[in-house]
Amino acid sequence: MTTSAELGKPVGKPLPFNDTRHLQAHQFLVDEAYLLDAQDYETWLDTLADDIRYLMPVRVTTALGAGFDTSPGMAHFDEDKYSLSRRVARFATEHAWTEDPPSRMRHFITNVRTFACEDEAHLVVESAELLFRSRGDVNEAALVSCGRRDVLRSDRDQWKLAGRTILVDESVLRMQNLAVFL
Amino acid sequence: MAGHRSALENVLENVRRGMIPAHIYNDKELFELEKERLFSRAWVFVAHESEIPHDGDYVVRRVLDDSFIITRDAKGEVHALFNMCLHRGMQVCRAEMGNASNFRCPYHGWTYRNDGRLTGLPFHREAYGGDDGFRRSSQTLVPAPNLASYNGLIFISMDAGAQPLEDFLGDFRFYLDFYTKQSRGGLEVRGPQRWRIKANWKIGAENFAGDMYHTPHTHASIVDIGLFREPKAQKRKDGATYWAQCGGGTTYKLPPGSFDERMRYVGYPVEMIDYIKGVWTPEQQRLVGEDGFMISAASCFPNLSFVHNWPKVLDSADDDVLPFISIRLWQPISENETEVCSWFAVDSAAPPEYKKNSYKAYLMCFGSTGMFEQDDVENWVSLTNTAGGAMARRLLLNSRMGLLSDNRPVVDRLPSEAFHGPGYAQVGYNENNQRALLRLWAEHLELA
Repeated sequence: MTTSAELGKPVGKPLPFNDTRHLQAHQFLVDEAYLLDAQDYETWLDTLADDIRYLMPVRVTTALGAGFDTSPGMAHFDEDKYSLSRRVARFATEHAWTEDPPSRMRHFITNVRTFACEDEAHLVVESAELLFRSRGDVNEAALVSCGRRDVLRSDRDQWKLAGRTILVDESVLRMQNLAVFL
Repeated sequence: MAGHRSALENVLENVRRGMIPAHIYNDKELFELEKERLFSRAWVFVAHESEIPHDGDYVVRRVLDDSFIITRDAKGEVHALFNMCLHRGMQVCRAEMGNASNFRCPYHGWTYRNDGRLTGLPFHREAYGGDDGFRRSSQTLVPAPNLASYNGLIFISMDAGAQPLEDFLGDFRFYLDFYTKQSRGGLEVRGPQRWRIKANWKIGAENFAGDMYHTPHTHASIVDIGLFREPKAQKRKDGATYWAQCGGGTTYKLPPGSFDERMRYVGYPVEMIDYIKGVWTPEQQRLVGEDGFMISAASCFPNLSFVHNWPKVLDSADDDVLPFISIRLWQPISENETEVCSWFAVDSAAPPEYKKNSYKAYLMCFGSTGMFEQDDVENWVSLTNTAGGAMARRLLLNSRMGLLSDNRPVVDRLPSEAFHGPGYAQVGYNENNQRALLRLWAEHLELA
């Protein structure tokens, strides 16, 4: 399977912030954040390419110079469109207790930069994300901080997410589960 | 402290009759007692040998607050070394995995081989007058008091006088083999995924040990979306629970068929069935082939669990399912917080395509993103919160499912010709295993 790193080959420096492609990519991420906050997952699925790979490796603490900082062969998410669609279908049942009542969520997206690719149909977009998730009224809210590397593909008049690699900043998550998308 | 003692005796007595004082799931004093009396002597799982396959490989794991480096030395031998420099107490290894022949303390540069021997001590002669002041040659990082492994599962006990691991595991080894020995090569594991949940460590261990009753309700969404067909309420209760010495688990009842047919029903490819037949005893094969039971979740006292399910994970019109195995550690952080460590495990001899799809099955069902797991944790966090208050001290949770008021079983135990495993087994919903696990807990807590 291809990773977003293999799919898009960025060329040169980040696009200027007033480049139309950067503005479109930025808007894509912000619009997506609103869909994820609202748990409007059916609409979100439509923004994903059919061959998407959605990957969130497990991070590990390794010595400087070890040459790796993710757990070999292990991820939190390693999804294709079908498995993502199963997750979305589950939330639509009346028995997904973990999100009933739903979490209050805010996906903060920042540090966005966009790279052109060798072929014009793709953009590579890097962003930083902070997810704030609050449940009930007893436990403290949980945070997930991560960096993302996305590949956007132009599909007729719009962009679709063709690949996402989520690099979480903790080796031990401080969130009870990942019944969320990042 | 006489009042305190009798309060404990009360708790243990209630636990033994299956009426669980709700506060045991969030009680600071009991947690201190668990540290002092239970985790100070139990065999605690730390790693699988396949995580450190090569000489020099290491992982760092904790037993409660104590950090150990689990290493494989230059001779291939496995060690568990207390991760604290003999001089000023720094952690000599601050990574969680890697490959190293030596560990050098960042504070003053003392250096240890990966078998624990102290080999480097800067200015030994000038600062200590050589061996006269400090005998370097006989020094090692402090080894774990007790270290042993079974089928590649590495355990530590903090008690140098603990009974041998094989004796502790005893009859439960029969069931452990189903998860951890499917060919001569044994398991390979990946991970763990690690995350913290605001729940007491005992809840997960109890759930995996025997809670068939929660499956159809908690996991209704899994059946709704067609991911796993087995947990329908009518079907789940046809499974049996078993308990053997230090652990127990749940099973599903399979449709009629031979051993091979039933293994194929849960998705094992023909070549894996051949490997399995080469390593499972005739009795182990009978449990599947004659009795028709297939292992699902299980727990080994105190905080190690396993799961084996066979969901449908591929986007295809046919009904193909395939199994996955996961190893699970409920690492206590406090009375109301647990670090969950969840490994994906697959037999090393399995075909690559099977490994790939089994991994997919694991990710969709269990672990930090697993669709089963998501709903479990929500329940356990809620339970732990509620157990911390004053009212929980007045509430005894009924954990007597499967027992009549005079302690006769609702359903008789299976005779040995209908269940070819050791220990005792019973068809249908019951809380035998949760009670058995907590009885072992009570036994440890009353031994000063």
